[in-house]
Amino acid sequence: MSSGPDRLPLTVIGGYLGAGKTTLLNGILAEPDGQRIAVLVNDFGDIDIDGRLLASAAGDVLTLANGCICCSMVDGFAESLETVRGFADRIDRVVVEVSGVGEPRKVARWAHLPGFTPDGVVVLVDPLSVRDRAADRYVGETVVSQVAGADLVVVSRSDVADEEDLAGTEAWLSGMTDATVLRTPVPTAVLLGPRPRNLPAETAEDAPASTTPPHDHVSISRHLDGPIARTSIDTWIRARPGGVVRAKGLVRVDDRPDDRTVLQVCGSTTSVTVDGPWDGGAEVVVAIALPGTPRAALVKWLNLLG
Amino acid sequence: MSQPLPETSGTTVYAARAVHTFDPARATASAVAVRDGRFLAVGDPDDLVATYGGTLDRTLADKVLLPGFVEAHCHKDTGGLWQYTYVGYEARTDPDGRSWPGCNTFDAVVERLREADSLLTDPDEPLLAWGLDPIFWPGERLDRRQLDAVSTTRRIFVIHSNMHLATVNSALMEAEGITPDTVAEGVPKDASGWPLGELQEFPAMALAGAAFRSFFGRQRSDEAIHLFGKSARNVGVTTLTDLGTSNLLEETIVRQWTGIVDHDFPTRVVMFHGAMQNGTVSDETCAAALAELRKQSTDHLRLGYVKLLLDGSIQGGTARLRWPGFHHGGPNGIWLIPPDQFADRLAPYHRAGLQVHTHANGDEAVDVLLDAVAEVQAAHPMPDHRHTVQHCQLTTPGQYRRIRALGMCANIFSNHAWFWGDQHISITVGPDRAARMNAARTALDLGVPLSMHSDSPVTPLGSLHVAWAAVNRLTPSGVIVGPDERITVAEALQAVTMGAAWQLRMEDEVGSISPRKFADLAILEADPFEVDPMELRDIPVWGTMCGGVLHPAAGVGG
Repeated sequence: MSSGPDRLPLTVIGGYLGAGKTTLLNGILAEPDGQRIAVLVNDFGDIDIDGRLLASAAGDVLTLANGCICCSMVDGFAESLETVRGFADRIDRVVVEVSGVGEPRKVARWAHLPGFTPDGVVVLVDPLSVRDRAADRYVGETVVSQVAGADLVVVSRSDVADEEDLAGTEAWLSGMTDATVLRTPVPTAVLLGPRPRNLPAETAEDAPASTTPPHDHVSISRHLDGPIARTSIDTWIRARPGGVVRAKGLVRVDDRPDDRTVLQVCGSTTSVTVDGPWDGGAEVVVAIALPGTPRAALVKWLNLLG
Repeated sequence: MSQPLPETSGTTVYAARAVHTFDPARATASAVAVRDGRFLAVGDPDDLVATYGGTLDRTLADKVLLPGFVEAHCHKDTGGLWQYTYVGYEARTDPDGRSWPGCNTFDAVVERLREADSLLTDPDEPLLAWGLDPIFWPGERLDRRQLDAVSTTRRIFVIHSNMHLATVNSALMEAEGITPDTVAEGVPKDASGWPLGELQEFPAMALAGAAFRSFFGRQRSDEAIHLFGKSARNVGVTTLTDLGTSNLLEETIVRQWTGIVDHDFPTRVVMFHGAMQNGTVSDETCAAALAELRKQSTDHLRLGYVKLLLDGSIQGGTARLRWPGFHHGGPNGIWLIPPDQFADRLAPYHRAGLQVHTHANGDEAVDVLLDAVAEVQAAHPMPDHRHTVQHCQLTTPGQYRRIRALGMCANIFSNHAWFWGDQHISITVGPDRAARMNAARTALDLGVPLSMHSDSPVTPLGSLHVAWAAVNRLTPSGVIVGPDERITVAEALQAVTMGAAWQLRMEDEVGSISPRKFADLAILEADPFEVDPMELRDIPVWGTMCGGVLHPAAGVGG
């Protein structure tokens, strides 16, 4: 089975019919933030694949010129993930679209299969209809449950909805979930987080350093030198500043110095997992925050790991 | 095993102890005349020979003949599961006639698995087993340690009867890297942090890697299809349905079935396309492809039917219920197709003249289905469409009236009374609604075209058992659950013959012993109209005739 570094981060994107999933996926495929992303969809129907961008098509797999691929899940999750694993050396991460009545939180369970690692549950909501849907006789529980299972909620259609609808929806969401709530447009880097494989490559020296912000969000990384204290992780989790949407760390911890521990933040959720023996790579943490988040607060936060 | 049809097929008159034709024009007889694989006439054996010539065959002279049973809702894995070791609580007979006593203790499970382990020669081949039902051992739990007593080197994968849970041994966990660091949901651990070996739901079961893939992959083997046919023959079924287990847009699957299900196969098979698996294909394109595929139908294999699903199951807590919801207070169930999208999914098939059978267990799911059929009928009136509600377990009298008014059919899951009746009373829907479940009496009284099914392998294949359950509504604890919804033996047998034939649009070909229809028979050792109705399910089945060819059941000296 795959060892740690080969695991593909898997992000699940859900939301009821009309919530804007297809638009979001089209945005990811059009601007993948330099990442080669495999998008798994129920059907290709609405995916906007410009003929010029399509490099090849083979059965249920489309390959785009920018390195992204698009797979249909016609044969089910287990089979589709098996197919995607065959592309592991050509892609950086996986995004799975969940059907309009699907439970994204449940689908995210598939991300524990060998070769993959869970990387967040994103749920879209349509500010013009979500509150009515949540009260609907047939689908109310489904919509509420989708939102409740999210790490990150994205309020879509911010270009057509008026401020009253957007703010009303956000206020409503704050009573439903602790998840971080964002409005479209959300850059791919913020939605999906840092590139997994070249985490160390673009970072600076010893002290906390800033990297070029893709678009206008704030991105900070810090190199670590040797195992950190378990207790510092707990402190770090509790002290997360507002505005942080994504963070990822590949570290060693003092009580398991020979293993690679993965720290991961997606919206309101933080996970700490061990994904295999330490591979000798760089120990590094990267955080991505919303525009306007004070850089100093992020620096102070990353410095808590020690 | 089967007798080839003579090349120049003459007339054969089969004398019988009794013939129940289910054709009201001549309801009973003492012989059937068969020519060219079809019924020629019924009557008295000597009269038939005198009238039509041919030979008198006394092979079935002490048997009771009924039309071959028509199972309008089961699945092909009925046969395929027997490629693996059975460890269920109830005794079962496999397609080759071997009886497997129930494993009533964990020790019996271990013993059964040891025996199976000793028969495998390749040490790398995983041991796959099915049917485990821990509901019968409250408070106990099978875990990897018991399975380690079977083998510490061979991978073992035991799937539970609900198909949503599996238990594996330490050798499998080691091979697939399932360790204390496994953080996946659905992998419970012991006090020391080690996984117990239980894998809950598909995402966790898939952690079993090659063993998991092998378990489901082998359901597509030729052997699985042959086992499916043998299973039917053993219980008197001559028309089987695979209700949407296959994606018939895949040519290889169609080729496989057309290659196997022919004159020598013991049953006819009606294949429903599983339209939940359409993937990149639109419903319009799919409907057009299925309308073409229908033309490839043969006397033995029928194509061009569609299956959709709306909700989950009542015992699994995933059906969509109207107020007041589940008796146990759990959340309402899940939708498999968004309710407001359902009419759009149905419409292309409806317009193409294809029949759609829709899984709807809960009464709320039935509402959505009926609204959708009303909508597509208003937009594109299609006489005699026979769209069918599958399961309709909580369907109300008002809904049955609408089913009738909309030209639909109902296929009721009567076996639930026996397999989950006690749980429905005490846990899922409570005593009042349990008494109203699977309301065959109500459906018949309101004139709804009715069939009843086993949903095998969810409950074992067997039309006599299905009929027995509807006639008696008995639960294992001895309760008659909803005595007012019981139906007569004649009504129940009608439902699993002509009733099902009508729902499959085969009413002029199977379902009764009538001239010109296929010579398909269920051949019984006792008369269902003479035995105590409580013993209906115990009537031994000698075998079947399918298209004039006799197929003795496994273990019957043919």
